[in-house]
Amino acid sequence: MRKTILPLVVFVVAIGIALVMQAAYIVNERQQAIVLQFGEHVRTVQTPGLYFKIPFIQNVFYTESRILLADGRPEEYLTLDKKRLLVDHISRWRIVDPLVYYQRLRTEEVAVARLQQVIASQLREEIARHEFITVIREEREAIMENVARASRPAIAEFGIELLDVRIKRLDLPSEVQESVFARMEAERNRIALRYRAEGEEAARQIRAQADKEREIILATAQEQAERIRGEGDARATAIYAAAYGEDPEFYAFLRRLEAYERILGDGATLVLDAESDLLRFLESTK
Amino acid sequence: MLSFGGYEGGFAGADVRIDELRSKLRRWVSRKLLLPIVVLLLLLWIGSGIYVVGPGEVGVVLHFGREIAIAQPGLNFRLPWPIQRHEIVDVQRVRSAEIGYRSSVRGGSFTQRVSEEALMLTGDENIVEVQLFVQYIVQDPSKYLFRARDPESTLRAAAEVALRSIVGRNTIDYTMTEGREDVQAQVRVYLQRLLDDYQTGLLATAVQLLVVDAPDQVRNAFHDVVRAWEDRERLTQEAEGYREDVIPRARGEAHQIIQAAEAYREQRVLRAMGEAARFSAVLREYQLAPDVTRERLYLETMERVLPKAEKFILSGDSGVVPFLPLRSLGMAADEPERGSGR
Repeated sequence: MRKTILPLVVFVVAIGIALVMQAAYIVNERQQAIVLQFGEHVRTVQTPGLYFKIPFIQNVFYTESRILLADGRPEEYLTLDKKRLLVDHISRWRIVDPLVYYQRLRTEEVAVARLQQVIASQLREEIARHEFITVIREEREAIMENVARASRPAIAEFGIELLDVRIKRLDLPSEVQESVFARMEAERNRIALRYRAEGEEAARQIRAQADKEREIILATAQEQAERIRGEGDARATAIYAAAYGEDPEFYAFLRRLEAYERILGDGATLVLDAESDLLRFLESTK
Repeated sequence: MLSFGGYEGGFAGADVRIDELRSKLRRWVSRKLLLPIVVLLLLLWIGSGIYVVGPGEVGVVLHFGREIAIAQPGLNFRLPWPIQRHEIVDVQRVRSAEIGYRSSVRGGSFTQRVSEEALMLTGDENIVEVQLFVQYIVQDPSKYLFRARDPESTLRAAAEVALRSIVGRNTIDYTMTEGREDVQAQVRVYLQRLLDDYQTGLLATAVQLLVVDAPDQVRNAFHDVVRAWEDRERLTQEAEGYREDVIPRARGEAHQIIQAAEAYREQRVLRAMGEAARFSAVLREYQLAPDVTRERLYLETMERVLPKAEKFILSGDSGVVPFLPLRSLGMAADEPERGSGR
């Protein structure tokens, strides 16, 4: 008997395991699942754990429960003032209704393509409402809020919740970029010229100031010097006058003698009268 | 016989004794060892639940796919597969992301620029090149594993979003110069907000602007501005130098002029005093014997003066009309010499 029982037991156990394997399914933290019975929806499982279904008849389809990232390709948009902008956006989304998602989209590629379509058209509308400068400067976040809010209803129909839309890159088309570079260069050249001219200005100012100060210093010194010289002359004159005033006649005599010595140097020619006081004894002793 | 017996039929005719030996062995094995083998397998199965969480790591235990526990570093036990599983996350390793450039895998001194990431619009419609370096760690392992798919690429995208919106709010000059730190801080705050929003479980520990520069196409013009600025400083400094050279010299010169004038004054006064003293002395003596002294002084002077001069002497008695050939006097230089000899 044992001969036949053992294989039977093994067989039954194997069948049992297979049934359990078919009936039990695990939904992990990263997943959510829907259970379909011949294509008909039975239940949706959104909390992780161990679950059971009717083997073979019911099938499980898993989808992501994590937040997903859709990274679009840059596209051109027109602003209100008819400037072209290259915008690359990212969006974050999550499957909230796996059944609808499964029915309408089935794969992630399709989902992302739909998502991009909706967002791109909203973005086009929204950007067309703003001037170029406000798009790049202040209102980037507000614009993104609006785009996300406007896109949400359309996207919700696919069982997807759109968390947010963000502008990743916001650039100018390459032809426009060239003209921006040209403008930047002109602007820099202007600044460079201004700096150099300012340097020249300051330098000239300082030099002129220095020259002026020098002239003032020297002129002041000259003035003082003349004053001092005059003082010297005055004092000398006073001294001379005091001394010579004692006997002006004798001073005149002495001073003349001194002057003769200076005046009658080499090469002077004198015509002297023999009767003169100096030579009066030349011809006679009388 | 066991179920294996099916094979035996094939060998039965060959060697009965070996066959019997085999079946004996099998029975013995099956009876004595079946249970231990089962037990051993069971132990091994349970033992497969033992795992090690390394230092700086955290284990996350899943019970039928649901997160139930966090395991700390050390030896840990969970129920074996398929009931429980575990995943390990390194929460201390500092990871990094590079925006706008890629450093080479080896060394790291050489970096490759990625223009489409690095070039961005500023708030004043200029284009600036920025390279950003982000360091981050896993702060919340369960979020990191289960809340957002691919947190690393989310971080990259979020870093670009943050960087570009902050740069887009500021002017190029602010971003490149005094606002650099500020921009960096703002990017960090913005990035962390996005990371939290997206439930990545990541914490940006360092956000650093490595390069903030003008794009290649206009870099020369930007550098020229720097040079012009330096030129301005240089010109100013040179002028200051001129001033510092000129003023002290002028002061020195002024001092010199005044000193010279003072010297002149002193000299004039002293000379006057000297001369006055001399006169007074001579006068005193003169007054004692005026006529003699007068005569003596006169003659002494004449003695000194006359030898050097040409002399013509006209006698008063000769009756000759004094004729002075004034014109020839200067021309005939040697003639008066003879006259003087007379």
